[in-house]
Amino acid sequence: MEKKVLKSKWNLTPEGWNLEGVPSSQDEKRYTQVGRSVPRIDGPIKVKGEAIYTGDMTLPGMVYGKIKRSTYAHAIIKKIDCCKALKLPGVLAVLTGDEAPNKWGIVPQAANETVLAVGKVRFYGEGVAAVAALDEETAEAALELIEVEYEPLPVLLDPFQSMERSQEVLIHEDSKGNIMHAGEQVYGDVDKAFAECEYVLEREFHTNYPQHGFLEPHSALASYDTQNGQLHLWASSQIPHYLHRQMSIVLEIPMNKIRVTLPTIGGGFGGKGEAAPSEFVACLLSRKVGRPVKVVYDRQEVFYTNKGRHPCHMKVKMGLDKDGYIQAVDFDNTLDKGAYSGWGIVVLFYTASMIHLPYKVPNARFRGRSVYTNKPSTGAMRGLGGVQPRWALECLMDEMAEMMGISPYELKLKNAIESGHTCINNMFVPHSEFKKCLETAVKKSGFLEKQGKLPFGKGIGMAGGYYITGTAYTLYQNYKPHTTVMIRVDTEGGVTLLCAAAEIGQGCNTVMAQMVAEELGIQYEDVHVQSGDTEIGAFDLGSFASRLTYAAGAAIKMACVEINQSLKETAAGMLGVRADQLVIKNHEIYSMYEIKKRISWEKAIEVYTSINGTLVGMGNFSPPRRKGIDIISGNRVQGANIGHSPTFGFSSQVHEVEVDVETGRIYVKKVTEAGDCGTPVNPMCVDGQVEGSIMFNIGACLYEDQKLDASGKHLNPNFHDYKTPTTMEMPEMDTNIVESYDHSAPFGVKETGEGAVQPTFPALTNAIYDAIGVRFYTLPITPEMVLKALKDKKEGEL
Amino acid sequence: MKKLIELDINDRIYEVAIDARDLLIDVIRNKVGLTGSKKGCGDGDCGACTVLIDGKPELSCIKLAIASQGKKITTIEGLVQEGGQLHPIQQAYVDHGAVQCGFCTPGMILSSKALLDRNPDPTEHYIKHELSGNICRCTGYKRIIEAVEAAAKVWSKEGVQ
Amino acid sequence: MFLNHFEYFAPKTPAETLELVACLGSKAKILAGGTDLMVVMKAKAISPDYLIDINGVEEFKGIFCEQGKGAVIGTNTKLAEIQFSEAIQAKYPALAYAAGEVGSSQVRQMASLGGNSCNASPAAETPTPLVAMDAKVVLSSILGERELPLEEFILGVRVLDLAEGEMLTKFVLPEPKLKSACRYAYMGRRDAMEIDCVNMAVTIELEDDGEKVKNIKLVMGSVYPRPLVSKEVTALLVGQKLSDQLIEKAAEAAQGEAKPIDDIRASAEYRREIVKVLARRLIKEAYTDAKGV
Repeated sequence: MEKKVLKSKWNLTPEGWNLEGVPSSQDEKRYTQVGRSVPRIDGPIKVKGEAIYTGDMTLPGMVYGKIKRSTYAHAIIKKIDCCKALKLPGVLAVLTGDEAPNKWGIVPQAANETVLAVGKVRFYGEGVAAVAALDEETAEAALELIEVEYEPLPVLLDPFQSMERSQEVLIHEDSKGNIMHAGEQVYGDVDKAFAECEYVLEREFHTNYPQHGFLEPHSALASYDTQNGQLHLWASSQIPHYLHRQMSIVLEIPMNKIRVTLPTIGGGFGGKGEAAPSEFVACLLSRKVGRPVKVVYDRQEVFYTNKGRHPCHMKVKMGLDKDGYIQAVDFDNTLDKGAYSGWGIVVLFYTASMIHLPYKVPNARFRGRSVYTNKPSTGAMRGLGGVQPRWALECLMDEMAEMMGISPYELKLKNAIESGHTCINNMFVPHSEFKKCLETAVKKSGFLEKQGKLPFGKGIGMAGGYYITGTAYTLYQNYKPHTTVMIRVDTEGGVTLLCAAAEIGQGCNTVMAQMVAEELGIQYEDVHVQSGDTEIGAFDLGSFASRLTYAAGAAIKMACVEINQSLKETAAGMLGVRADQLVIKNHEIYSMYEIKKRISWEKAIEVYTSINGTLVGMGNFSPPRRKGIDIISGNRVQGANIGHSPTFGFSSQVHEVEVDVETGRIYVKKVTEAGDCGTPVNPMCVDGQVEGSIMFNIGACLYEDQKLDASGKHLNPNFHDYKTPTTMEMPEMDTNIVESYDHSAPFGVKETGEGAVQPTFPALTNAIYDAIGVRFYTLPITPEMVLKALKDKKEGEL
Repeated sequence: MKKLIELDINDRIYEVAIDARDLLIDVIRNKVGLTGSKKGCGDGDCGACTVLIDGKPELSCIKLAIASQGKKITTIEGLVQEGGQLHPIQQAYVDHGAVQCGFCTPGMILSSKALLDRNPDPTEHYIKHELSGNICRCTGYKRIIEAVEAAAKVWSKEGVQ
Repeated sequence: MFLNHFEYFAPKTPAETLELVACLGSKAKILAGGTDLMVVMKAKAISPDYLIDINGVEEFKGIFCEQGKGAVIGTNTKLAEIQFSEAIQAKYPALAYAAGEVGSSQVRQMASLGGNSCNASPAAETPTPLVAMDAKVVLSSILGERELPLEEFILGVRVLDLAEGEMLTKFVLPEPKLKSACRYAYMGRRDAMEIDCVNMAVTIELEDDGEKVKNIKLVMGSVYPRPLVSKEVTALLVGQKLSDQLIEKAAEAAQGEAKPIDDIRASAEYRREIVKVLARRLIKEAYTDAKGV
């Protein structure tokens, strides 16, 4: 076999990643670190309680910041009087919105949020002022002394009402009709396709308003050095880079004077995927008082401000030909944006992109609008933009299969895409084992034997789903690589990976250590990971869009090429063989032809560094930039760049439920899942992501919903009335990783963190239908709804 | 007016100056400096602040520090064994992938210890019932239950304290 | 969020406690488990000047259960102790079960039986079975003691028949009658950490024939400002051999008596539905149990 060693890292091809000349997929034994369920590297310090979260930190001279919150959901701020607060002993400074009026938002084109309200408040609990004080008690007392005069405005809590009453009241002056953004995407001839369809069905679906419920509240600790103008922020964030950018805008400090560090993060699920006012307030106050300032939210503040999942009001129409092949999809979506834009445009068009996969859709139309309301803004929440349309589409297909008299499994399998599929909007799927997912979940659960045959009150339902593995574009206009990593090797520090990836609990540090070890031929325990720091680490966009394993994996591979090449050259000289004949494995460098010619990896490092000093490899990753076009006409389509990804993960779930038909309670008894995540770098971590995803959306499907009264005040800003699932709600879970290897991906990997939430709503909703013969089109599905539906059904049958 | 009290935490006596209104979680975290116990909700709803008081799990975010005098308080930092070895429950959590973000973990482990102390051979239902006051948003609980079951096996074999 | 400043007392004996209660009156709150008190104080719903922590008073704790003599349970007996007490499990299984379903293991470890009644929340768990089993409360003051059926003690939402200077010190449970059974059930959205949308307990005592109902007491929680004892169920079923039709009629009668409200946890309409379901199920269960089948 011919061996090819690439001298330069810049002309790498996916094939070139495999320096030994054998595609890793064909050499199962090749992987020694990737594919192993090793325990997490941060496991021990976490179980010992030694992991340091932002709220656990104390700096010398540190003081405390707290935020005064609006008691109106929509009102003009007439006056803010801070005099009394400033006179309270121990109060060091007060901050109001007009001191930092620059607008921030993760999508710069639509950024419209200020640190604290300027001129008016747009949701209940919005920050209106902040204080810094010597201790928390004084800070809290000072908030009571700040007097705010409001002039109440009409409160709009429903997007349709908001559009209707926009003549009378605008939430943002520059957003006509109270619409943040509206868009249309048309591919093919949808109307003609529908006209030719044998089966057409249209339904309306309405989703709820859940929140992430990560256990660690937003926390920030800022330290501004008044002498040199440097600012250091420690924050519980998923996106150190985007936070960094926005801090620069808000504080008017160049980015190179700001450093963002992530301590341990207590969960995010998208909720820490935007900057938070806590972070800016800590920074601004620190600059004002010249001392470190810590701001930690309490749970109520998290509920007031955190950006949960968009309620979506969706009309979905699908047409099938006589054989059951999808011919057209028409999707109309009204999203409840809440008060500020945030991720808004991105979420709008993600919902649009979701109709193109995981089934073949030759004609598609999307019309959507994201509408401002006087609620806490909605944003990114696990499975951003996917969960709502996936629920609608998979439920609709369940119903259409019934129309046709076939199993939903048959309908879905028939339409499922395969590797190499190009969607009509030019999204390209290099690899898919979606069919295998459907088959595995259906077979293992006995779906076909059970569906329609269980006694009344028991039911089984299935659904498929997919998600992106990172995005094709950054959120601001730029084409730089999305991830850069640096790997440092020497005799003193061993191997250190320096990057700015955000370990938020998902396990990326462990997975990155496994990938580095794999490439360098050492053990994962040998790799130190320094992540989540914009100064120590190289550039990274952050933890969202299920991007990290793929993006970091690609960059790590590239960085390791350079290191391995240097080591091989060193070893070649020592062994008297050619460098391209050398293999690095298991802490040894040896000739693949003369196996006696070998030296230890450590020896090679020693020799290399004694001549050259520390060995450093850099790697980066840029996703393919596919354009969102109508592939038939070739025309650009607005918003259609959103949804493209280097590759896609797929999955399928089968849920089995028991419904107590007298009380309406739904009990999820068993979930069988099969997922295509490419190569599972750490199968135990994959299972953990999948199990967590399933429970996460069982919660949002059955229990969780944020409720507001007519004035926009929260009715359940706490964990006793915002009901997340407890251990008692946990079903039996059988999760399966299907065999999969994506040749286009580093190590063959794909996403797993957000794909597994996608099929949960529809599989569960379809199972409820199988149990009681009622289809639900509104979430969450409460016992009251079940009882009412059963009553209506009974009356209808009489 | 602040008052000097003694708290017995992890077999060490800490002398702390407190107000009557101070909550145990704040005193443990801010005055004693043991930050392993977490504040997830402050209302006794999430279990992240769980500590053992005389061996029983209590919520330190709704417990007065002053009312905790004269009792043996165990926090997560007190579980590590001689020579820094992990407690079998801690080890089981690591081995079974029961830890993700780790914020619920200290409270979850202490609740696990309390339930195993009461019943070293628990059924799955018993584990779920007694852990239901500890919310975890990451794991879906499956691996946590498995870890407790695994720890119970070690427990019955070795008779761990 | 901080609590208000207050003065803290930790008496060691009942006498000291009652002295403090007498002196401080309504400006003081008694701290037993604190699982309700601390939460309402954090929310600034109440701001007492004094807290009297009774956890140092041994006499207020404990379960005294003697064969044939009912049981006496100290006010500050923790719910977990009741949940796991073999004596309570054997003699008053409905109470052990109800105690074991309150909140979480941590809450049950902290919260006391007395507190669960004195908090006077309509959704409280243990008052329902306690009323169904004719429990009495002992109210003490420096002047002496009085005994009162629990159903007359809880008057409404956060309202008790408690005179200035008085406190609840123990529960007195009568010995269960021969051929009788008490059952408890609740309904909420989750199976843990729940604030019940309805809870209910039923005690049935049978005639010597083991068939006819001699006495029945159905108590509903969370559907009225205080535990609601059904009059109609008793009127309908006493003296009867129970049939499915009769049970259904009784369940509907209970449903008619319930006066639930709409709130974030459930609608009044749903609660009424659940009253009927739980009544039907519990009457059947208790009847079967009492028959010893």
